[in-house]
Amino acid sequence: MREEIVRIKGTKAGLQLLFAAGATYAAIEAEIREKLAAGSGFFCRGTVMHALAGSLPEAEMEKLRHLFHENGVIFSVTRAPFPLPEEPQGAPEPTAPAEAEAPAAPQPAEDAQQMVVVNRTLRGGQEVRTQSSVLVCGNVNPGAQIIAGGSIDIRGTCRGMVHAGAFGNQKAFVIADHLVPTQIRIADLIARAPDKAPADLEKPTRPERASIKDGQIVIEPIER
Amino acid sequence: MSEIIVITSGKGGVGKTTTTANLGMGLAMRGKKVVLVDTDTGLRNLDLLLGLENRIMYDLIDVTQGRVPYKKALVRHKKQENLFLLPTSQVKDKTAVNPEELVKLCDELRQEFDFILIDCPAGIEQGFKTAIAAADCAIVVTMPEISAVRDADKIIGELGRADKENIKLVVNRIRPQMVEKGDMLDMDDINDILSIECIGQVPDDEMVVTSTNRGEPCITMEKSQAGQAYRNIVGRILGEKIPFMTFPKEGFFSRLKRVFNL
Ligand SMILES: Nc1ncnc2c1ncn2[C@@H]1O[C@H](COP(=O)(O)OP(=O)(O)OP(=O)(O)O)[C@@H](O)[C@H]1O
Ligand SMILES: [Mg+2]
Repeated sequence: MREEIVRIKGTKAGLQLLFAAGATYAAIEAEIREKLAAGSGFFCRGTVMHALAGSLPEAEMEKLRHLFHENGVIFSVTRAPFPLPEEPQGAPEPTAPAEAEAPAAPQPAEDAQQMVVVNRTLRGGQEVRTQSSVLVCGNVNPGAQIIAGGSIDIRGTCRGMVHAGAFGNQKAFVIADHLVPTQIRIADLIARAPDKAPADLEKPTRPERASIKDGQIVIEPIER
Repeated sequence: MSEIIVITSGKGGVGKTTTTANLGMGLAMRGKKVVLVDTDTGLRNLDLLLGLENRIMYDLIDVTQGRVPYKKALVRHKKQENLFLLPTSQVKDKTAVNPEELVKLCDELRQEFDFILIDCPAGIEQGFKTAIAAADCAIVVTMPEISAVRDADKIIGELGRADKENIKLVVNRIRPQMVEKGDMLDMDDINDILSIECIGQVPDDEMVVTSTNRGEPCITMEKSQAGQAYRNIVGRILGEKIPFMTFPKEGFFSRLKRVFNL
């Protein structure tokens, strides 16, 4: 058996992509194409494929992202060491009031590096609460909420409540493919959706980022 | 192989019982042997929709508590001999049956029936947990309005937590004129949020009400629009590819759709 250039390993948080040391990009791409063509069942639509940031140059990662997207596979570059930690998921009791005061823990540097990955849509009543950053490969629906010590990246539509930098990190931000949340909170600032949406305001078609600028939450389009 | 389907919604009054009665009747009309299990203990009304109230001798609680075998509690439909009802009690409450008991009962029912449809109570409390326990798949019923869609979303989340991943959507009481004017959510809005496969779009139809009063589900009425929609759902459950009924489309100028703050 020949040495594999690309290895795909299953983890709790999805599949992870590993490259043989010293492999050229062309060889990597060729082998991935081969795998995509062969294993029809393996890569079902919506599968999430993780690659470790830095294992390939940025531009090549981007090409891979394209390749996977064309095949319906979500490609995500994460900084977290594998296996990715996944927050135990539980919807809170429906009657339980939201805990108003989160423990004001200082943000240790290594925590900011960690990332919680959620590979599904968060539905109404579901909550993710973590000290680290959060990546959601799915939507965040109305009535769902994310409270993160770090930043929040949503590969889908965000209609829920998102709180980045919940323990005071003013540099935290929120990114979503479609950013239409009921409320965005960053550190101790709050921005809410307009009470009445103007008639011609469709949901944004470009990814947007919300962050703090000059003491205010601002939202601007970004390139992914 | 028999199939256990729970019909659920979260929000009350969106048409779970109506859907259960119609799909049950429809599957029976297609030659399947069907039992409808009413788990809305204390607020039973599946028997009314089928015109069977006066024939009830024993109920679900009598069966799960071992007082009678399930066969004694089954009520056969007057006209449709493939269709049976396992009614529930009107005097007990939802704690009277627990999930294990229902699972055990459904295992027995599997031996005899092709389809076991479970009519679920509203809410996400004990009654819901019991109703979904035995199900192979779930039909979530919603209406084209924000609160019903939000509750459906929550229910889909709860079903996922209970490891029920086979979930289909039925949108009930669609009023094409209101959708057209932008006063009601359209299917795109609903799919956007719920993102599960839709197997039915049922229009609002007076015949649902008149047929309820007569104790005969509207699926038996040739002319009923809702009846037609239910016949299509039955076909889809049986694996047929049936296109959706077309309701009047949105006009060109009303295309600039309102954004619902969903
Ligand atoms: N497509 C329809 N067109 C018109 N009326 C309808 C339609 N579907 C349901 N209804 C009416 O809506 C009411 C509620 O329906 P149904 O009892 O089936 O809801 P349910 O979800 O079972 O309610 P509950 O949560 O109380 O059990 C009934 O009066 C019924 O006749
Ligand atoms: Mg009911």
